Amino acid sequence: MAEINKVAVIGAGVMGAGIAAHVANAGHEVLLLDIVPDGAEDRSGIAKGAIAKLLKADPAPLSHKRNAKRIMPGNIEDNLDALSECDWIIEAVIERLDIKQSLYEKIDAVRKPDAVVSSNTSTIPLEQLTAKMSASMQENFLITHFFNPPRYMRLLEVVSGEKTSADAVARVSAFSDHKLGKSIVTCKDRPGFIANRLGIYWVATAIQEAMDQGLTIEEADAVAGRPCGVPKTGVFALMDLVGLDLMPHVVGSMLDALPKDDPFVTGHKPNPLIEKLIADGYTGRKGKGGFYRLNREGGQKVKEGIDLKTGEFRPSIRASLESAKLKPQKLRDLVTHEDKGGQFAWKVLAKTLSYAANLVPEAADDIVAVDEAMRLGYNWKFGPFELIDMMGADWFAEALEKDGMDVPGLLKIASGKSFYRIEGNKVQYLTVDGDYADRARPEGVIMLEDIKRGQQPVLKNGSASVWDIGDGVLCFEFTSKMNSLDAEILGLIKKTVRLVQKDYKALVVYNEGSNFSAGANLGLALFAANIAAWPEIENIVETGQEAYKALKYAPFPVVGAPSGMALGGGCEILLHCDAVQAHLETYIGLVECGVGLVPAWGGCKELIDRWTKNPKWPNGAMAPVGKAFEIISTATVAKSAEEAKTHLFFRDHDRITMNRYRLLADAKAYALELVDGYEAPEESTYRLPGESAKVAFEMAVDGFHRMGKATDYDRVVAGELGAVLSGGDTDVTEELSEDDVLELERDAFMRLARKSGTLARVEHMLLKGKPLRN
Amino acid sequence: MRNVVIAGYARSPFHFAKKGDLAKVRPDELAAQVVKSLVERTGVNPDDLEDLILGCAFPEGEQGLNMARLVAFLADLPQSIGGVTVNRFCGSSMQSIHQAAGAIQLNAGEAFICAGVESMSRVPMMGFNPLPHPGLYKSNPNAYIGMGDTAENVADKYGISRKAMEEFAVASHQKAAKAQADGKLKPEIVTIEGVEADGCIRGDASMEGLADLKPAFNENGSVTAGTSSPLTDGASAVLVCSEDYADKHGLDKIARIKSVAVSGCAPEVMGIGPVGASKKALERAGIKAADLDVVELNEAFASQALACISDLGLDQGKINLDGGAIALGHPLGATGARIVGKAASLLKREGGKYALASQCIGGGQGIATILEAI
Repeated sequence: MAEINKVAVIGAGVMGAGIAAHVANAGHEVLLLDIVPDGAEDRSGIAKGAIAKLLKADPAPLSHKRNAKRIMPGNIEDNLDALSECDWIIEAVIERLDIKQSLYEKIDAVRKPDAVVSSNTSTIPLEQLTAKMSASMQENFLITHFFNPPRYMRLLEVVSGEKTSADAVARVSAFSDHKLGKSIVTCKDRPGFIANRLGIYWVATAIQEAMDQGLTIEEADAVAGRPCGVPKTGVFALMDLVGLDLMPHVVGSMLDALPKDDPFVTGHKPNPLIEKLIADGYTGRKGKGGFYRLNREGGQKVKEGIDLKTGEFRPSIRASLESAKLKPQKLRDLVTHEDKGGQFAWKVLAKTLSYAANLVPEAADDIVAVDEAMRLGYNWKFGPFELIDMMGADWFAEALEKDGMDVPGLLKIASGKSFYRIEGNKVQYLTVDGDYADRARPEGVIMLEDIKRGQQPVLKNGSASVWDIGDGVLCFEFTSKMNSLDAEILGLIKKTVRLVQKDYKALVVYNEGSNFSAGANLGLALFAANIAAWPEIENIVETGQEAYKALKYAPFPVVGAPSGMALGGGCEILLHCDAVQAHLETYIGLVECGVGLVPAWGGCKELIDRWTKNPKWPNGAMAPVGKAFEIISTATVAKSAEEAKTHLFFRDHDRITMNRYRLLADAKAYALELVDGYEAPEESTYRLPGESAKVAFEMAVDGFHRMGKATDYDRVVAGELGAVLSGGDTDVTEELSEDDVLELERDAFMRLARKSGTLARVEHMLLKGKPLRN
Repeated sequence: MRNVVIAGYARSPFHFAKKGDLAKVRPDELAAQVVKSLVERTGVNPDDLEDLILGCAFPEGEQGLNMARLVAFLADLPQSIGGVTVNRFCGSSMQSIHQAAGAIQLNAGEAFICAGVESMSRVPMMGFNPLPHPGLYKSNPNAYIGMGDTAENVADKYGISRKAMEEFAVASHQKAAKAQADGKLKPEIVTIEGVEADGCIRGDASMEGLADLKPAFNENGSVTAGTSSPLTDGASAVLVCSEDYADKHGLDKIARIKSVAVSGCAPEVMGIGPVGASKKALERAGIKAADLDVVELNEAFASQALACISDLGLDQGKINLDGGAIALGHPLGATGARIVGKAASLLKREGGKYALASQCIGGGQGIATILEAI
């Protein structure tokens, strides 16, 4: 199978440019072409402009700004020949069949015989796209439907035709899976494929039901969001996010393409309110607002929402429905709740989940594809069939009947059963034949979730578990709330180190939470501080230092495998691993100063060491600690694993996994790779500048204070950070040990922990989830 | 006493640090290219040169070791020529001119290259390892005061309004942009790695645009990035020799050095440094401020430039005719040689008898040079 190396994206709009950016993130060169506008001075101006926008966009489409250099801008008139070097050509131009078809003709004339060509269309069937295509191109043609933003959305819908070769599908799938980190969902050639077909039906239904049943947009979002396991944007705020103006276009093409008896078509009603909002320029967050807006009139920012009855903006009203407060697993309670949220939830879910059931086998081969598409394409926590299982398939079918609604065929097949079941230690799903089949993972994927079903933990306490993931490797999993670090975890680390040393070869620190760890358990710390349990607090600081040091100097390799946030203590544990195998979407930082503390589980010590040993950084006692001060005092958080390397949170030998599903397998393989001839690192020694560095830090912070960039209490916290990083009372002629630096960390931490300014910051963080600027 | 003359002036384009076109050029290389070009342009016989005196405000990293000697090697100067790196912060390369003038009058050489360089992209202000003396910081914190804070202090002390500073900045950009458009900067500029022109000048700078900027150093202050000189990469050099030598070898005498001075002042208002130094130099030259026809007054900040103008009683119409550092940029170590070379060239171009070049220096100093037309 010829590997995909060079990629081209044609169409430098938001999607095309975003896809190109992500190919560049994967380390591959990518050509980005667009048309030559009439009378353009710069014939490749559109693509160049798109790259400039990529560098400014938030959330960043590029995992490191330097990746932009891998994107070569061009135009389809002058640079078409360059396509002959490309292994995969992605078309992402305007949704017009004639334009696409004429472009395919041009591509066909220059492409390599085995180059794969795919369209990112979201609405046009493959059958139409390939209608005028040469036979050889048809063999290498498919639809690859990315979701916006392409770097962050993990779903890739793939549609292949009868003539598409298995090799073309396999090559694109392998590249998209391993290099772009996408989860491939195979779809049939049906309008809107899976996620948008169902997702847009769901949004349209919810908007209509909210209007019919007299809910406010805030109430509708509160009910359709969290209690259903859906992001808190619900439906109205989701529309604002994706852009209201997209809606009529996509809905229109769906209405044209779907059979007239499809519930999408029969349930459709024109929505004058949306039309008016768009006409008035309220296209969503990218414009001046949508269903929600920030009203800046009169100098103040007032959050406003649209009144669905009057169509006028009014100040936002917080939803107070009881039903909106239910947890996602209480779905039956939600849809039977007596308040208007309950009835709304019922109508929306009844219609949406029924529609989902009708998509199998029409648009998807199995329920697994539909669930995966909604989880990864719409960020639902649970897929529609998982939601039905929560209520019970029979209960749901009965409720539909009671409400006078049709019961979908698949739901009848599920009678007396559930859509998913656990058989032995495997998850099985209900097929359209009424049988169960194993839910298979892509080849090479190891999920802790699967391992855990088949075995008991090797070690376990209230906050962590240790699992045998095979081949002599153990996996240390945080299980505490939000994966926050506490004394139980630290205790279990010490035990685990002894166990691995005795019976195993290597350790991986990994979990499948949405965040690796947001740091130490601040709630416990605040409680201890409020009752003045200073010895206990100091004890946990010391235990953490010991536990992390034990990991670092254990006689076996330890590989950290983070995804999502790795902050504070969560960052520090990774700094003590031999190596890190990080998911690209890892956001790591030492953020302790934000809560009025300093890193005291070895974070200062490790960062100084890394910057001291960085051959690219200037020599001298001040340069490394100066950099560490800059990073820690500003609570810098890297916005990708790649960016984390520039701060030295990760080192050159640390590796990046693009596909979240492959993280554990990669980490385990890395750990095993390190086993042979493994030697624990040697202890570092430190030559720190002492008091003059402290003075230099003080001068810098005072300057920021005058500029208004540092608060009064920032000066206090930075002063203590300076006391650690400077080496305290040391002199540059003296040598300090790791333990000396740990003691400085501990002392500074304890001095800060006793201050009211720190406690105010901790309390604020716990209550509001953001730092207090005191 | 022997007369000392400026017999040549050249500089690199000046560009914004980090984001400008010279960010990737090493400072030693930058200085060497300017020095090499100056030697070629003036036609001085390199074997006659006594010394290369190179000013630099943060002589470490790529600006470290004895950079002057390394620049001499890079510029292919004969091995027989010495090299010394001098540091008087922003006054460094004016100091190199003063040293050469002194040496010539001491009969310790006939011709000197006096140069200056700063890559603020590659060696940050404060250097890589700032290690202040803790005791001094305690007893006299102003010894280490930041430059922006001194600019605020001067604005306060001398009652310079934000608007006045902004008018001054806009004028600086307009003068520089016009000079650039009229090709008046071109003769002094040496092309470096294909970069031919200055990169900091903003001819479209406006009062409205400047008014929108936030204070850069103090949230309650009045000094902004727009009324401060930008962080800049650049190098400059002048040929300083005895008048006899210039005559003998038919070199182009641009101006004669009439007098020089340095003078200390309070570090917290270092921007006022040119006042003391200029007064001394004027007295040594036996002339009054009113006798000056051309003034190059470094614009570290608009506030300090305005305060000096007012205190010395200078004529605004004679100051920084082709724009100053706010528009052109201020590569610390390179500025002194630039403004002396520029003042000499302007005196020749515009006519008149006397010119003053003066600048303020971090830590609380001023330095001044008075030139006389030939």
